[in-house]
Amino acid sequence: MVYDGIILSLLIGWFRGGSLKGLANMKLRGGWLFPLLLAVQFAVFFLQERVAWIAKMSNGIFLLVYIIGLVFLWLNRHQPGFPVIFAGVLLNFIVMALNGGRMPVSIEAAQFLGREYIEALKAGMYGKHQAITSETLLPFLGDIIPLSPPYPRQQVISIGDVVMNVGAFLFIQHLMLSAPRHGADDAENETTAAPANQ
Amino acid sequence: MYIFATEVDIHSQSLKDWVLVYILTGSVVLLNLFPIILPPKANSFSMDSAVYLATLFLYGLNFALQVLFIFSVIELYRNQRMSAWRHLFNFSMYCLMISGAYYSFLFFNGDIGKINVHHLFPYLISLLVYFSINVLLIFLFFYFIGQVFKGALELGVLKEACVGYSVTLLLSMVLAILLSEEKYFGLSLFIILVTILSIVFRKFLELYQLVSNRANKDHLTGLYNHGFFKETLKEQFSDCKMLKQPLTLAFLDLDDFKKYNDRNGHLQGDRLLAFFGKLLQKAVEGTSFTVARYGGEEFAILMPNTTKEDAYAFLNRLRKEVNDTYFEGVEHIPYRCLSFSCGIAEMEKDMHESDELIHRADQALYYAKAQGKNNVQLYDKHNMSLDEIRFKQDLEALEQQVKFFLSKDVYTYRHSKRVFKYALEFGSRLDELTDHERQTLVLGALIHDIGKIEVPRDILNKRGKLEKHEWEIIKKHVTWGREIVAAEKRFDDLLPLVELHHERYDGKGYPYGLKGEEIPKLARILCIIDSFDAMTTERPYQPTKTFEEALEEIERCAGTQFDPVYAAKFIAFVRKHYLPLAEMEQLN
Repeated sequence: MVYDGIILSLLIGWFRGGSLKGLANMKLRGGWLFPLLLAVQFAVFFLQERVAWIAKMSNGIFLLVYIIGLVFLWLNRHQPGFPVIFAGVLLNFIVMALNGGRMPVSIEAAQFLGREYIEALKAGMYGKHQAITSETLLPFLGDIIPLSPPYPRQQVISIGDVVMNVGAFLFIQHLMLSAPRHGADDAENETTAAPANQ
Repeated sequence: MYIFATEVDIHSQSLKDWVLVYILTGSVVLLNLFPIILPPKANSFSMDSAVYLATLFLYGLNFALQVLFIFSVIELYRNQRMSAWRHLFNFSMYCLMISGAYYSFLFFNGDIGKINVHHLFPYLISLLVYFSINVLLIFLFFYFIGQVFKGALELGVLKEACVGYSVTLLLSMVLAILLSEEKYFGLSLFIILVTILSIVFRKFLELYQLVSNRANKDHLTGLYNHGFFKETLKEQFSDCKMLKQPLTLAFLDLDDFKKYNDRNGHLQGDRLLAFFGKLLQKAVEGTSFTVARYGGEEFAILMPNTTKEDAYAFLNRLRKEVNDTYFEGVEHIPYRCLSFSCGIAEMEKDMHESDELIHRADQALYYAKAQGKNNVQLYDKHNMSLDEIRFKQDLEALEQQVKFFLSKDVYTYRHSKRVFKYALEFGSRLDELTDHERQTLVLGALIHDIGKIEVPRDILNKRGKLEKHEWEIIKKHVTWGREIVAAEKRFDDLLPLVELHHERYDGKGYPYGLKGEEIPKLARILCIIDSFDAMTTERPYQPTKTFEEALEEIERCAGTQFDPVYAAKFIAFVRKHYLPLAEMEQLN
């Protein structure tokens, strides 16, 4: 879902006359954190089925990743879009923290993802997710929004994901449209240098 | 708050409903980000009300309030600069509006859950309630905050609001039908459509503003141009006059600009103008002043709510600042620095037209130039008197014009000459008049009936009573006279005399029905002299009075037709200088 959002942002930014060069202007504090967090997430995701202690610790690790991510976002809160990303991640973090480090998923909304997925979810064995039950706290912050046709991919997402994507969209738009464009300024100068009085 | 607490129930709803709430909230946020802006006056209306109403019609109050609540939280987060109590006010207002609409909808047997196209009455009522609560609360808000904004209750504004609201109703119906047929897809179609509309309208507005700026701005300096300035002056003049607020006008003229141009070339001269324009723009930033390029190297600043003393302080400070500002090439002009001369005039009670203000500021500017440039002068009538030679020239020119009456209407010719004589004698005995005013009165007296040259002979010379339409034509002579005199700029001072000498002190005169002090002083004096002469000479359309009778008539009408102060003075003047002569004539 995050990648869909980024691709969509790039496309719209391009349509609005932005330029990819703008992305090079990205100046983030603690930017190195981001790839690191991503790597840790992937590592945990792949290793937890093989290494027992990682599986045990995975919930805690995910929460830690979220906390560091939030700190990173907070450090960069003056960048356009970042307050929104922060709000989205915070929403996801709240619901995960309250429910033992796992993201609650609505069974009803996840129906179309396939029987195996549902079974795994119910067994609590699927990555960082778990099924919503009557004990789940704040279920409405969980993965309850089904993406279905005409949307090209089938997925279940949370409201936090949506907010996060909106923030990323704003940030990318800002970057792409703030890139210096040549030609526009010169044309303006020409029109003002018209003949005058006296 | 109370309504919200009692009506919202989040526990009983399924997660599916939550998704719906999220999506509806998202669309409200989006619609708020893209309000539809309508040129030309940049009125905007956002379509979020349509979403609330559609939600109300389809899913009931609980849903609509939840959407509102989440939206308000987002607003609180997004718009942190706005004070919390305003957020709270907005939230409570929408709560009241939505629940009011809901209960009135139920009261008139509306069905929640599907759109019933055969029974539109409840929808209409609920929109009406929604609308009235909104207007009422916003009005109360501004009332208590102490700034009842001008024109809030004007018909035009209300009309526009009505259009906006009926659009809202229509859209809410459309959205409700889309939602009930195709839920999410319907909603997204609606949102995309409205967003695109908003973008398109915004483009229109930009285009409109671009074009109107071109029309109102001087392209060299970026200041307002002459035409726009004149229009603004006219508006401000009548506003300030009505509200009895001071209004001051300043004219600025760059000193020795021609020399600068000759030494540095016109291109550099244009750069200086642009530079000076920027200086002025910066000087008035954050004030209510209007700066315009009046023409050539002349600039004008219009200062509402400012007395001439404040304006003087402001402009003198600006003058010193400008003196200290270097611009390339100024070392070649006499002062060796950038400088301007400035004339200031303030609106006075008896000013009738904005042109008089311009005229005065212009005179003050000339005076400033004559005082050796690089200074600021307030308009002062004592400094502005015409010299004797110019007065003679003017008099001759006007006499030429009055001579046209010799062949056409000898009555008017003689009348003008007599009124001229009275004005000369009476004016010289009025101590409160300045030299300039005295000269103006005399010249004005001579020319005041010049407009009658346009009146057909058979009306002027008709014996017996005039018909109503003939009177209407006679009455027009003041306007025609003004047009004739306005042809020459040096006679601008005489315009109020020519145009307003038939205004009455009680406001029943023509052509404008001005009252009391609104009528220029000189016009009030001329009115007395003119009437006196009209009463005492033979005219085709009225019986003649003796001097004594005429004076009694003036005394009787003092305070109604005539200014009582000058009427008394005039009576005393005639008694002293004319009655003895008249009596002698009778004796002989």
